[in-house]
Amino acid sequence: MNCLIFVALVILAAVVPVAEAFEPTKPVEIIVHSAPGGGSDLFARAIVEMLQKDNLYHQPMHVINKSGGSGAVAMSYIAGKKGETHTIGLFTSAVIFASLTQKEAQHTIQDLTPVVHLVLEPSVAAVKADTPYKTMKDFVEAAKKNPGQLKQAGGVVTSVDNMFRLLIQKATGAQWTYINLPSGAERIANLLGGHMDLMLENPDKVTEYVRAGKMRIIAALTEKRLSALPDVPTIKEQGISIPILTQSRGVIAPPGIPSDAVAYWENLFGRLVKTQTWKKYVEDNQQETYFLKSRELADFLEGQTKLLRGVLKEAGVKAVR
Amino acid sequence: MSRYLQAHGVFKKNVVAFNNLLFGFSIALAPVNLFWCFVGTFLGTVVGVLPGIGPAGTVAILLPLTFHMQPTTALIMLLGIYYGAKYGGSTTSILLNIPGESSSVVTCLDGYQMARKGRAGPALGISAIASFIAGTFGVVGLMVAAPPLAEFALRFAPPEYFALMFLGMSMVAYLTGESVLKSLLSASIGVWLGIIGTDLFSAQSRFTFGRPELLDGLDFIVVSIGLFSIAEVLINLESNVKPDLFPVPKGIKNLLPNMQDLKDCRFAFVNGSLVGFFVGMLPGAGATIASFISYGIEKAFSRHPEKFGTGVIEGVAAPEGANNSDAGGALVPLLTLGIPGSNVGAILLAALFLWGLRPGPLLIQEHPEIFWGVVASMYVGNLMLLILNLPLVPLFAQFLRVPYYLLYPVIFGISIVGVYSVNQSLFDVSLMGVFGIIGYFMRKLDFPVAPLVLGMVLGTPLERALRQSLLMSQGSLTIFVKRPISAVLLLFSIVVLLIPILQAFRSAKSLQREANLA
Repeated sequence: MNCLIFVALVILAAVVPVAEAFEPTKPVEIIVHSAPGGGSDLFARAIVEMLQKDNLYHQPMHVINKSGGSGAVAMSYIAGKKGETHTIGLFTSAVIFASLTQKEAQHTIQDLTPVVHLVLEPSVAAVKADTPYKTMKDFVEAAKKNPGQLKQAGGVVTSVDNMFRLLIQKATGAQWTYINLPSGAERIANLLGGHMDLMLENPDKVTEYVRAGKMRIIAALTEKRLSALPDVPTIKEQGISIPILTQSRGVIAPPGIPSDAVAYWENLFGRLVKTQTWKKYVEDNQQETYFLKSRELADFLEGQTKLLRGVLKEAGVKAVR
Repeated sequence: MSRYLQAHGVFKKNVVAFNNLLFGFSIALAPVNLFWCFVGTFLGTVVGVLPGIGPAGTVAILLPLTFHMQPTTALIMLLGIYYGAKYGGSTTSILLNIPGESSSVVTCLDGYQMARKGRAGPALGISAIASFIAGTFGVVGLMVAAPPLAEFALRFAPPEYFALMFLGMSMVAYLTGESVLKSLLSASIGVWLGIIGTDLFSAQSRFTFGRPELLDGLDFIVVSIGLFSIAEVLINLESNVKPDLFPVPKGIKNLLPNMQDLKDCRFAFVNGSLVGFFVGMLPGAGATIASFISYGIEKAFSRHPEKFGTGVIEGVAAPEGANNSDAGGALVPLLTLGIPGSNVGAILLAALFLWGLRPGPLLIQEHPEIFWGVVASMYVGNLMLLILNLPLVPLFAQFLRVPYYLLYPVIFGISIVGVYSVNQSLFDVSLMGVFGIIGYFMRKLDFPVAPLVLGMVLGTPLERALRQSLLMSQGSLTIFVKRPISAVLLLFSIVVLLIPILQAFRSAKSLQREANLA
């Protein structure tokens, strides 16, 4: 009898390490840096919905909004959860870019555990339909003729739109004015009203205006042509050679979590991006799935930060890290 | 002949609009839509009454529940929350001096004073009636003229926004207490508080004192709850102030506005409806700004401007009307162009995408059922809200019978929970405490609070619009007078600024005449 128990224990001991691999045992918090209704908030709620719809995940997952400081508050919150395996968070490039000029940010994405990269949001350059610019080249030529006269509607100085402007200006020698407008709604309204000449946006935000004949897309700021816009040439095809910045979205976790927890989340999101539901979501939003695991994501973030720091420095914006 | 044809064309157009509206009602009155419209407006009222969490947060949180609904039904419900919250927002402003929503901050000024005088019932009643009238006006505006109005809204670029914010700022002339100097000082502090945060143009932080929580600036509702309700509690904690119960008259007749009240508010209804609707259409402004401007206009053209702030009923009707008419206005650019006119609008835009629709210039043409269903449902919803809110008035008024030793802890508790619910941040709660103490000393030293709040709301948009305009004109100030809309608005602001000076001059003259006669 004792012998049997011993055998049973030995078998159990052999099995246990496998059974011990991380699996959530209580509700998981998913931290987003935007307020309810913001981009990351809606993305998080869609992820939760998709994970449950496809039966990939069964524990409750709560979206927690830690807005403030363009992500600095959320980063600090996640950093404070050191070793906590039941907390994950979403990041965007905007958060990484903003942290470069914030001396107040106590924690940045570098202090956290990278988990996966999920999607890239491409940018396109759009003008009002009744303007003479058919291509980015036309626009650049017009800007060269009247330096500083043409106006681009964009966001904060560290946003991807402004980075692209600085890169294109440097590559072509053209100069135009950048007007900071806080919301996408104001940028679109100003372009449609004819007050501004150019804007850079995600394609899903402008395609409806193109379809209604109110806007024209003059370039895709991507490496390859976009599948939804096969007729729009990329900026490189137009002879303007610049490094491509992307707007990324992905998942991070608190610092110091065990590697099996990282592996669990990598695996879960790896399965999510293969589902039909996910593919439809990404297509509807005109995004592009770009899946990277923890190690590759760390390198990717490093590269983007380095590129951006260089652009900011040349533009005379004070970077603090 | 051509005139006949033209008239015929107009007639035909009206028939089409009428048919469309009937089509809309056939959608809005379907039992399932009627049910969800009620759910939305009811939830909206609840969210509006509770301070802190606003319609934007509620709509976002409920969004996933709508994924399995018909888009029209879902939109009807979510919009019900949006305009329903505007009805409820005035309740705590009037009863407890706690602004329920940021667009009901101005309502505290006269609403709470009315409650102190035993007129809480008429104040609550008039805000429901003003909300209904202006809300319905907003829907009519949306229905008859959405596409041309949206084109008009597109003519607003930074110089026009600058002129609009300047007009709003000139309203500070009407929010003064006894000392103009103290008001201006108070407004300047407000502008400074608004500046705290990250500068849009340089990405550099201003006055953040090394705190990451301050990078996005101070939350307006947190500051106002501190300044209004916490300060109120602190003042009443002083032992030498004998806190007395607010008088609550008996009989339902005294709890609702009477004919004279309605007559006094005639102009306020029109003012609130128009200002709320036009400001609501602009993507860079919103209900809070609209409520301030309509209050200022009401006071500027009043026969008894000196009584504002002591509990005049027009001071409640104008801003409450404006923040409701804003809902109809905000839908104009959203449904005709896919440009959201408010933060709730931005969430609804995202929702339309998630439901598989393509919001943009072609939405009305390709999905008439959405536009007309929504328009009709808003008539129904506003009526539901009036029926829902008027009977609640006598009920809410009874709340003031609660003795002060219970009431003040309740105000304290509601304020803390409300502020915490905005960002789930304890930092915000302590900030509210700090502003409570600031508000206490402001009251002690006779500094009016309203100009501070106005400065905080308008300061940053004013600064932004100024810098954007100067970037556009490469530094030339003539951009503000060269553009017709901004020139007219600036001219109007000058008139608004001159009226009190003329009034003071005239009353000084008549005083002198009296003195001479004596």
